[in-house]
Amino acid sequence: MALLEVRDLKMYYKTLRGHVKAVDSVSFDIERGKALGIAGESGCGKTSMAVTVLRLLPSNGKIHGGSVKLDGVDIVKLDDEEFRKSIRWKKISMVFQGAMNALNPVHRVGDQIVEAILAHEDVSHQEAVTRAEELLDMVGINPKRYKEYPHEFSGGMKQRVVIAMALACNPDVIIADEPTTALDVMVQSQVLKAMEDLRKRLDLSMILITHDLSVIAQTCDNIAIMYAGKIVEYGNVIDVFDHPTHPYGMGLVKSFPNIKAERTRVRSLPGFPPNLLAPPKGCRFHPRCPLAGDICMEEEPELIEIGSNSHKVACHKVDMLERGVDIWEQ
Amino acid sequence: MGFSRYLLRRLGYALIVLFVIMSFNFAIFRLMPGDATKMIIDPMFTPEAIAELKRQFGLDDPPLVQYFKYVGNLFKFDLGLSFSTRRPVVNELKERLPNTMMLFLTSFTFTTIIGISVGVFTASRRGTFSDNFVTGAGLFTYAVPTFWIQLLLLMLFGYYIPILPIHGTMSAPPPDGFLLQFLDRIHHLILPAGSNVIVAFGSWALYTRNTMLEALGQDYIVTARAKGLPENTVLRHHALRSVLPPIVTLIFGALPGMVSGAVITETIFSWHGVGKYLMDAVMQQDYPAAQGAFYLIALAVVICNLAADIVYGIVDPRIRVGEGGAK
Ligand SMILES: Nc1ncnc2c1ncn2[C@@H]1O[C@H](COP(=O)(O)OP(=O)(O)OP(=O)(O)O)[C@@H](O)[C@H]1O
Ligand SMILES: [Mg+2]
Repeated sequence: MALLEVRDLKMYYKTLRGHVKAVDSVSFDIERGKALGIAGESGCGKTSMAVTVLRLLPSNGKIHGGSVKLDGVDIVKLDDEEFRKSIRWKKISMVFQGAMNALNPVHRVGDQIVEAILAHEDVSHQEAVTRAEELLDMVGINPKRYKEYPHEFSGGMKQRVVIAMALACNPDVIIADEPTTALDVMVQSQVLKAMEDLRKRLDLSMILITHDLSVIAQTCDNIAIMYAGKIVEYGNVIDVFDHPTHPYGMGLVKSFPNIKAERTRVRSLPGFPPNLLAPPKGCRFHPRCPLAGDICMEEEPELIEIGSNSHKVACHKVDMLERGVDIWEQ
Repeated sequence: MGFSRYLLRRLGYALIVLFVIMSFNFAIFRLMPGDATKMIIDPMFTPEAIAELKRQFGLDDPPLVQYFKYVGNLFKFDLGLSFSTRRPVVNELKERLPNTMMLFLTSFTFTTIIGISVGVFTASRRGTFSDNFVTGAGLFTYAVPTFWIQLLLLMLFGYYIPILPIHGTMSAPPPDGFLLQFLDRIHHLILPAGSNVIVAFGSWALYTRNTMLEALGQDYIVTARAKGLPENTVLRHHALRSVLPPIVTLIFGALPGMVSGAVITETIFSWHGVGKYLMDAVMQQDYPAAQGAFYLIALAVVICNLAADIVYGIVDPRIRVGEGGAK
């Protein structure tokens, strides 16, 4: 049994013009100590998926089914109070997208870490302070800066503080949503490295959301490629990068000429991402897919295993693709 | 710009304003229709008596001399003799001031506490019935004229449900014993202070609600929730705490208006304070008394303004930065 098992998770935002199906039947597993990278175009539902797992939905967001099992317990079914006390931060913590503003400007950085510890653990204030100082030290910040305010920190340091904070209660899973996008390249790699070292040392599981496939290639064990609220390709990082199989996944990976060397953002494929208020019928990718046939416009493809190693793809034309046709050639 | 320079400049402005008020104060009562000397001078008096009275009240000098004497006396806290009581105005004001302070501080404390709490409450329940109801009520009492609500309350508690005194600062004769006297005063305080709270809490509530809603949309609030903090802590310790600086600034900024509003409240509820004293003096064309009360109220407004400026300076980082960066 995997540490975190997400099955058929659906979360829609209610708007005046209907439901935005931001997370639509998403399933994946994460083993203890492993990292899953999630990639996909802007607006495909990555952040939505993450906040659904932590149940931090805005008032118009609602879970419409599915389960999230942590150690076998379905945390979607827990009541709010229990979820808050026993899951948030204690079991699953999160580093938010745009974490530049994740720290409250009117509180000392150290206190913000201490607060998280005291909310979940029965320790004295002094013990919590000591732990916070250790955490700051772990992410490479002088513990003497405990008493400073966020505006006295640089962007990269704030991000380290946020990471230290995410580790404060020894969670099982840490969800990092674009943890480094706001930072310049040098700092990005420092922060990523610090995070990777800590994760390995503490045997943490991680969900890493990023536009940057090279980051996933360097740090993750598995990758899930999302398109329009769904996972269209899932598998071992090596399998997916060597043999991307879904037309969208293929386009995404191919747009990184050399994953190891070059840092570019996902180059956009022809066409536009679909409107999640009324996603295309059948396969959501069909309007942009060179292979789209009749069946693609009618039936939604299932995420099925191809080959070995639990490499999964949701595409009707998968037979064709497995033969290695390069569809984005022209 | 350094904080101290900023302060000095503000202090300079305050002094200029005081000077203008002082001069204005001198002129306005002499320009008002009606001859005030009639108040003290009976046409039946002998010319010698009239001259003596005029001399006593300093009315025989040319206006400019009167003005300089007036300014000189102000610095000695000598506000002259009241025409109607023939007592020093300073002494009369000294008796009145504690009553005004009591009413003012009570109104102010409850207005801000209730206003801010209501704002936090409604923000946390945005869009629900209780939000709409409380916000609507606050908007209503904020929008209608103060005296109208006060007159309504007066009618309600003076006539229909006569459980609260509507007049004065204490019963006459006062009850025996310190405790009973204290309770009697509080009893008298309820209506005037309560009416002030009712008319003023709405604007605090609305302002707090709006800034709270803005704060609640910030990333650090999501972080606070994600950390598993109880909703109450998120609301108070994170959202409210981060919007407190602008609220405090605004509170100080509103102080002068509250001081001047006291005149109306004191008049309506016959509250034995400086505001009512001013009103009575004006009605009786009692120059020295009116001037003295007016000056005291103006002084209070200027001091409150200065306090507001200082708080702005402390809260607004753009002013603090010149002082050598953080903190
Ligand atoms: N509160 C909301 N109400 C309605 N729609 C929303 C809300 N939040 C997000 N959405 C919509 O849900 C979809 C998914 O948004 P989400 O933020 O999860 O995308 P994302 O993959 O994280 O994008 P990015 O890479 O830009 O961060 C988008 O179409 C977005 O417009
Ligand atoms: Mg996002």
